[in-house]
Amino acid sequence: MNGVNDKILAKKVAKHSNNIRNGLDVLPSLKYGVPSGMGNVRWTSDLILSTYYQAKNGNPPNNGLNYLTGASKGGFDCIHFKREKEILETEISRTDEKNIDLSISLNKKKVGRKLDIKIPAYGGGMSFGSVSLNFMISRAMAAKELGTLTCTGEGGYPEPLMKFKDHIIVQLATGMFGVREETLQIAPVIEFKYAQGAKPGLGGHLLADKVTAAVAKMRESTEFTSLYSPFPFHSVYSVEDHKKHVDWVKTINPYALVSVKVSTPRDVDMVAIGSYYAGAEIIHIDGAYGGTGAAPEIAKKNIAMPIEYAIPIVHKYLIKEGVRDDVTLIASGGIRTAFDAAKAIALGADGVVIGTSEAVAVGCTHCGNCERGRGCQIGITTTDPELSLFIDPIWGSKRIINMYKSWIIQWRKILAALGLSSIRELVGKNEVLYYKKQVF
Amino acid sequence: MQEEKIRKLIFSRKHLIKTSNNLSSHRLEAAEGGCGVIGVASTQKLKGKYFFDALIQMKNRGNGKGGGVAVLGLNPRQLGVSQEELKEKYILQIAFLDDTIVETLENENIKPFLEISKEYWVDTLDNYESLGLETSPPKIKRYFCSVKNNWRKKFIENNKLHDIDIKEIDDEIIFQVTYKLNNQFYASLGEKKAFVLSAGKNIVVFKLVGYAHDVIRYYKLEDFEGNIWIGHHRYPTKGRVWHPGGAHPFVSVNSALVHNGDFSNYYSITQYLKQKQIEPLFLTDTEVAIYLFDLWKRVYGYTLESVIEAMAPTTERDFKLLPGDKQLKYQAIQTKHFHGSPDGPWFFIIGYSNTKNTNIELIGITDTSMLRPQVFAIQQNDYATIGLVASERQAIDAFLASLSNEDKRFYAKADKYWVARGGSHTDGGAFVFSLENTFNEKNIQLICKNKFGEKIKVRKPAKDELVPAKAFENVNDFSERLNKIISKANNLDQLLTLIRGKHINIEEIITYYTFLLDRLHLSKYNNVGWARAKIEQELFSFFRSLPLINSEEKSRIYLLNWDIKNKLEPPKQMDASLAIDIRDFPAEGNSSAARIIIEAYKKGWKRIYTFDWRGQRFCCSGLGPNTEDLRVDVYGNPGDYLGSGLDGAEVYVHCSTQDQVGQIMRRGKLVIYGDVGQAFLYGAKGGEIYVLGNTAGRPLINAVGKPKVVINGTSLDYLAESFMAGDPLKGGGFVIVNAVFFDENGEVRQIPTPYHGSNLFSLASGGAIYIRDPKNMIEKDQLNGGDIFDLREEDKKLINCFLKKNQQLFGINLLELNEYETFSDIVNTYKKIAPIKLDVLK
Repeated sequence: MNGVNDKILAKKVAKHSNNIRNGLDVLPSLKYGVPSGMGNVRWTSDLILSTYYQAKNGNPPNNGLNYLTGASKGGFDCIHFKREKEILETEISRTDEKNIDLSISLNKKKVGRKLDIKIPAYGGGMSFGSVSLNFMISRAMAAKELGTLTCTGEGGYPEPLMKFKDHIIVQLATGMFGVREETLQIAPVIEFKYAQGAKPGLGGHLLADKVTAAVAKMRESTEFTSLYSPFPFHSVYSVEDHKKHVDWVKTINPYALVSVKVSTPRDVDMVAIGSYYAGAEIIHIDGAYGGTGAAPEIAKKNIAMPIEYAIPIVHKYLIKEGVRDDVTLIASGGIRTAFDAAKAIALGADGVVIGTSEAVAVGCTHCGNCERGRGCQIGITTTDPELSLFIDPIWGSKRIINMYKSWIIQWRKILAALGLSSIRELVGKNEVLYYKKQVF
Repeated sequence: MQEEKIRKLIFSRKHLIKTSNNLSSHRLEAAEGGCGVIGVASTQKLKGKYFFDALIQMKNRGNGKGGGVAVLGLNPRQLGVSQEELKEKYILQIAFLDDTIVETLENENIKPFLEISKEYWVDTLDNYESLGLETSPPKIKRYFCSVKNNWRKKFIENNKLHDIDIKEIDDEIIFQVTYKLNNQFYASLGEKKAFVLSAGKNIVVFKLVGYAHDVIRYYKLEDFEGNIWIGHHRYPTKGRVWHPGGAHPFVSVNSALVHNGDFSNYYSITQYLKQKQIEPLFLTDTEVAIYLFDLWKRVYGYTLESVIEAMAPTTERDFKLLPGDKQLKYQAIQTKHFHGSPDGPWFFIIGYSNTKNTNIELIGITDTSMLRPQVFAIQQNDYATIGLVASERQAIDAFLASLSNEDKRFYAKADKYWVARGGSHTDGGAFVFSLENTFNEKNIQLICKNKFGEKIKVRKPAKDELVPAKAFENVNDFSERLNKIISKANNLDQLLTLIRGKHINIEEIITYYTFLLDRLHLSKYNNVGWARAKIEQELFSFFRSLPLINSEEKSRIYLLNWDIKNKLEPPKQMDASLAIDIRDFPAEGNSSAARIIIEAYKKGWKRIYTFDWRGQRFCCSGLGPNTEDLRVDVYGNPGDYLGSGLDGAEVYVHCSTQDQVGQIMRRGKLVIYGDVGQAFLYGAKGGEIYVLGNTAGRPLINAVGKPKVVINGTSLDYLAESFMAGDPLKGGGFVIVNAVFFDENGEVRQIPTPYHGSNLFSLASGGAIYIRDPKNMIEKDQLNGGDIFDLREEDKKLINCFLKKNQQLFGINLLELNEYETFSDIVNTYKKIAPIKLDVLK
């Protein structure tokens, strides 16, 4: 009986995923024009389609799609490279490829393990439960191939990810779901998630719909019962508790690097410096634009500071305190494109964390139904046993790798046009940028 | 009348604000957090040197960017004044960062207003570098002074303060003199040149950029005496701190305050204070806290109870449970001062010198949500009574240990330890140690009261009585032999010697000592600090007499200590045990106490005794998965995060523990013969856990899976919030709360109200609480998302089974609670609290 069901399921999955893939291939060619109603001002249809394009072809689109900016009238959409024209016209030869270094160091301290990643970006935390296992595997495979990392999010460490353990950041968040010593012990980086820029001051809430048997098992909870992550760490109410928390994790795994992910309140500079002195190697500031469709609408754009404001504040403050060279500053929250990433770096970050763009690479349309169990028709933010099969990990990872390949080309062009040989030289070079109001 | 007085006093400060530099944005200069704090009040004067150990042990709560001490109840001889002078004169201590301004400052800011009767520079060490300090500490000048008659007259005339008591006028003048001085020489200048360390009667404050113990060394306070001492390590988030003005204690007239925490409504409080003609000068939240205290206590003339209510308002269910007259009063206070109430995590220790009656007071107040850890304790011996309050129990014990080393009349453990429940109707979240008759050494008295003025009962110094054999009855095979030894002893000392003198194997000796510790609560030595101290001391010295791990001697148990930590080898015979002397291991880091246990286990040791913990953290963390073959015994004062991440091993803790015990614990067994601090079993996934005493706030928050927990005492609040542990009858998790305590004779007694908190099982979607509630005192409004269910047979079986295990571990026989005859009678008095399906949770 089961065998028959499996066959029917496999057939259904094959049919749907084929349709999805065909759609993703055809849409960016603009053969049928731009679909109406796609996207929003931050993720315009052009940005979504150009990401599909890059995920298929591994290079930036040349069919007129705007892959540089959205239409939000703010944020990175108003920040441009002064030499944008030269950048776009720059040809990258094979020799340049070798001479331009995109790697960044995740531990700039003199002590502790060295850990460099080959591109100035790694994957942000999306938990098993919020997204499907196949999407997680796709991301992990891509991270391994690209020589970078990805993150478990707060929902446990599914067994199939163990193969990629050197590329997987384990997140320790306020709900402590699925956090076990053995997973902390294999992690190259442990990320403390204190807050998310999309909803600072708010905890997580995984709706009962998405807590399927597999998710419940991983989180050791009950099926189809809502799960809460509290808004604070109940064991950390102050910076000295935070130091204790870091010390705890370093007792469990002395070799792990510690990343502290915080949102961007008004005193984000204080938070950053406090985290550094408490022993963190990576300060990860998460601005207001990012986050899943599951964050409450009211919180999304109204609480945290925009990331392009926060980066220079923290960067300059770390310089003032004399520790900028000892800490890696990572920015996230609404970094959609290679250009966004480069702008964030020029503003003062060492690198960026990418979440949504990777989801777009495998077909996210920004419909915003992420919180519902069967809301995601592409199979990304779902844990439904059928829908989550739509993404085949090999196909998914290929798409993500392709997107980054295109980004790598763009980063190299930017550096070459600016006469730089390493992405590290771009950090804090904000004189290469200018501000221009978007008028429509 | 009172209102008129308050108005006039506040109005007299009008010029202060005008002269103050206009701080356009009240941005905190540095966020700061936890900090290590300790306060001690004693009927006998104590010397500074006793605080070294406690402060050094709390070092990891500060970062060396600010340390300070406050001393009250001073010795006039050490200050070079007469008793009368000490009683009457204000002591003004000014920190000079630049001593070229001394004359100007004195001529302009002191002499026109105050009559100086004595002045001198406070003695210091010759150089500060020898202490490892980066920044030169300030030079301190001490002035004994009183308000000049003509200035007082003018002040009264100008502000029409004729009908106010002179003492109050003088206090206000001192306040304004110091405020102006700070404003002129500290706040408004780019370079900070001088500030007032303290100003008041019978109180002095010292601080610098460093740790609090550096303060004691640098200002040579080792032999300095006082009845009340407060010490503080600061933890500002910023790395570069060059001046000591931001260190605690912060002062106002006759008072000093240290703070552990960080409030979120600093701006709102500055606005509130501005209406009272005060603007902050030092830009830390602690500064505004002392202004609030001073405003309410001195200017408004509030009772301590009202001051505490203004700081930590009673809310929600606690408010509802207050008597009607208190509700009216508190509502009035809250309405008036709500915007001045510090919000967020905070814990204050305040030293207050009451100039009206010469009493001095040590006050500990915690925030309404109990977000910061705090422990109170008291020891009453034949010689003195000491009240203590600190951010950690280990700091209290470290202080007592160092005191008892120097002076044998004191002993190394307090008789009683407790925590406050912030903003509660039960204790108000605050306790006051009040020393009366401070100028009459023979009649000096220490009284401890809670917010509502109810005295904390302290037992008379206990006699060394014969150990009651009853406590050790009916246990296991060796109890008969132990009882034989007990019957030969006349007192505890003799018993301890007899045990050691017996020619029995060393494991049995350790078992006997351990057993004495584990059964103290059932004996007359319950709440007798010296008995516990003595047994521990004897046990530790026995451990230290064992053969070292690198010796050739054959033994069943080998000893490892800090000096030979590199000699750790795998066990020579399979069943050998390891005793680790934790004393000298660091609290955290790569060579910490926690790491040596991991290393020993990895080398093959399966039975590990660890003793003389002194606040070291993360005990038994990091062992990794599948550690079923390991048993660890813990003695002493283990620090935070004990057993966090435990995944299989058995850990027996023969003492009380601190905060974050058993965080994310997954499997294994954890037995605690004492109390537990905050955030116990946060995010736990499983395991069997037994606690003899109480747990503080937030136990089992976000626990999932199948933790099975027995708490014999109760919890402060927020028990099992967001508990998501399935169905206890299908292998899920649960907590059994027995709500008992042990009286002075070691008899089991019912806690009158089994659970005081306003929040029980909030937002929980799985698991259950079984709470013993014979008098039906649990109310539905304590629940938020749960409901009370009838016990089914399976529930009763489950409770029964775990109560039996509990009885074996702690010797607690609930049948001894008089009203019960059979075990099933007891089980029937439990209530089951389990989740209901709520629409919002779907």
